[in-house]
Amino acid sequence: MRYIGRDIPRRVWKWWFNNHTVIDTLKRIVGAQYVLSSSDDVAVYKHDATPLFSGTPDAVVLPRTTAEIQEIVKYAAAAGIPVVARGSGSSLSAGTVPIHGGIVLSLTRMDQIKEINPAEMLAVVEPGVTTAELVTAALKLGLLYPPDPGSKIISTMGGNVATSAGGLRGLKYGVTRNYVLGLEVVLGTGEVIRTGGRLWKDVAGYDLTRLLTGSEGTLGIITEITVALVPNPAQSLNGIAYFASLKEASHAVNQIIAAGLLPATLEFLDQKCIIAVDEYANLNLDRTAGALLLFGDDGDLDVVNKHMELMERACLETGGFGIEIATEITRSEQLLEARRCSLPALSRLAPTLLLEDVGVPRPYLAEMVAKINLVAEKYQVICATFGHAGDGNLHPTIAFDEADPDAKKRALAAFDEIFSLAISFGGSISGEHGVGAAKLPWLKDQIGAEQVALLKRIKFAFDPHGILNPGKLGS
Amino acid sequence: MEAKKISPQLLSPCISCGYCLSACPTYQITKDERSSPRGRISLMKEFNSGSIEVTNELFVEQSSFCLGCRACEPVCPAGVQYGALLEEWREITWTGKNLPLRIRGLRIAVTMTPIIRLLGRLRRVKRNTQKNAGQGSDFLMLGCVERVLYPQLSRVIAKRFPSIVINDDQGCCGALHSHNGAPNKGHEMALSLGQDLPGRIVTTAGGCAAHLSTEIGREKVIEFSEFVLEKILAGELTIESPIYIDGKIARIGLQDSCHLRNGMAVFQEPRQILAKLGTFIDMKSSKDCCGAAGTYAIMRPDDSTAVLSKKLVEIEAADLDFLVTLNPGCQRQLEHAPDLRKSKVRVLHLVELLELSLSTQTLEGSRQIR
Repeated sequence: MRYIGRDIPRRVWKWWFNNHTVIDTLKRIVGAQYVLSSSDDVAVYKHDATPLFSGTPDAVVLPRTTAEIQEIVKYAAAAGIPVVARGSGSSLSAGTVPIHGGIVLSLTRMDQIKEINPAEMLAVVEPGVTTAELVTAALKLGLLYPPDPGSKIISTMGGNVATSAGGLRGLKYGVTRNYVLGLEVVLGTGEVIRTGGRLWKDVAGYDLTRLLTGSEGTLGIITEITVALVPNPAQSLNGIAYFASLKEASHAVNQIIAAGLLPATLEFLDQKCIIAVDEYANLNLDRTAGALLLFGDDGDLDVVNKHMELMERACLETGGFGIEIATEITRSEQLLEARRCSLPALSRLAPTLLLEDVGVPRPYLAEMVAKINLVAEKYQVICATFGHAGDGNLHPTIAFDEADPDAKKRALAAFDEIFSLAISFGGSISGEHGVGAAKLPWLKDQIGAEQVALLKRIKFAFDPHGILNPGKLGS
Repeated sequence: MEAKKISPQLLSPCISCGYCLSACPTYQITKDERSSPRGRISLMKEFNSGSIEVTNELFVEQSSFCLGCRACEPVCPAGVQYGALLEEWREITWTGKNLPLRIRGLRIAVTMTPIIRLLGRLRRVKRNTQKNAGQGSDFLMLGCVERVLYPQLSRVIAKRFPSIVINDDQGCCGALHSHNGAPNKGHEMALSLGQDLPGRIVTTAGGCAAHLSTEIGREKVIEFSEFVLEKILAGELTIESPIYIDGKIARIGLQDSCHLRNGMAVFQEPRQILAKLGTFIDMKSSKDCCGAAGTYAIMRPDDSTAVLSKKLVEIEAADLDFLVTLNPGCQRQLEHAPDLRKSKVRVLHLVELLELSLSTQTLEGSRQIR
């Protein structure tokens, strides 16, 4: 049996749940209409966007305020009931699947942008605000929230912070953790703390903001987020180049970096992704090409133009062809959109998609993609690869049919081997999607047993009863 | 008898990515996964696996809470055909005792062709029968709602486009059946209409256009805005100048027809026409459902109003002279919105606005109204 409810074992809280008025208490806290408990009502909260993982919640609660969450967590801590925070449920690591049951806290109703302050260049939001909503609101004031996760039209800020979401602008702008200034968090004890604040420089105490960012709901429930914004660049240009394979495209990436550039966008897709994306978005892509590199930069017009020229040259020198620079904003947006929808578009290949999120140091990119192809061949699986070439974060995606047990076995074996490959290059098992339940078995391979033990001790400090998202990090 | 299931091949493309959530009007109101397209697909999967019953309250409720606007389809990278799923779903839930009385009545009403025809005649729907009309001709489809509520549309079309054949003995296209739990009957009715109108079918209702094009083929159907644009491009129709109101070019907004936009990808055409008729204001919410959603406004008036009210702020702020619709259902919904009735914006079907423009043109070029 896994570590869960250090104080109160599962069978005890389950008994409590079934024999006490837990549901009535929850209804009293948030209002009857925001508590779901019948088996059909909670059924839609069994999954997130990760295949093969599910867990049935005992109750789903949609709170509106920090005070409500505090009361729920206090009650759950006393009874030892697991509490799993959830936003839009777009997690790709089973991070929001309640694998041990308990209460799912859906934070989607906490969807207010509390403040966007151009003078301080920051925004204060509730966790249920979607990334796209924040980006749009900031843009109206000439500001940019740089993190750009692929699923930004639905992913919530709470989820972004909980996973330190990355995305398409990682190389130049960094990821979510680089923009979180302060958090309000309900700990596993029911205490409410505020970390950081409105300052870039603030070293009073341990950097709990940074620790909570990427904690995947295992240390606390994030109830308010303060993020830094930057001035929106005057100009943004994107272009594409085709290559014979991802390997050549990787060489182009290295050439671009070697030229002294730090572009906003450097993304690639292999042929299977090109076809799937083009099926969906009708972008007139060259479906015969082995790989596509999407490159772009932002800043002042003359600088961007110069950078685009240099990138174009780097592509040509490394075997790039069919280069197209999007002169219209709509085309440019379309190309970025094509990259963002790669994963769901791949579902045209097979009903189940096993998605990797490995990262390797950039110099090993070409070698890594070549080895991924060998793994796919070895296990005879369909593997489509896309990813953030600029920061070495790859998404090899294995498409198979869950109903075929042999195919599933081969897919899982290939999945496992790709993790080992990434680790052997000094890389990571997860660049931006999080460890969740899906990658927890491989965590020790990357960070070592001592560190895994340390994570558990850290979790204990924040969540002594082990009720927050059990079965994930720190469990 | 084996209980009917929802087609697994329609369900399997969904990988639960959730990209549909932001497009779904009911999810945007509740923020509850149960009323999102992904949640509804989860329910259908649960039903198929046998863990929920056909009479399950949530299962039945969600099948009717869904507007059926299909806004989730164009945003779905996996290409899930949600509209088709919903048709099957309602066929399963809206049967026997569970079939709402009002739907039962409406379904029967639209199959009574002689009565629809009589009502059309009473409302002076224009006829234009032509003897040698055949496959090469364009036929106007007289929608059931339109015949009774907006007979002027057919009169304008007969006047401006005399080559269009208008038979008044045509029946209903069956969209109402397909969207309300009887897809087989809906399919039959579409086929029969296709035989009655052997050429290209011009429709003034986006919902009917999308249904017909699914059932009898996209090439057989041309929606009115597509038709007008075609005539403009062919030089057969000229819009010489925009409409002026009080000396200023009219500000025109659009209410997309959901099925037209999401099912047939027709949304550029009306925009191009409106840009010729005045200053076109492309509101962010133009594409969002107005809450009419076929029978929805009749079945669930409160939810329908909630969906509509999300749009009203932007419409008011846009300071419009005209709000143009492409479907009689939307037109009725917007005409009856209390907030809009108080404001200066006039709700018109594209046909009516076009007529307004053409009739003022013939007098003195760019003419002023009011």
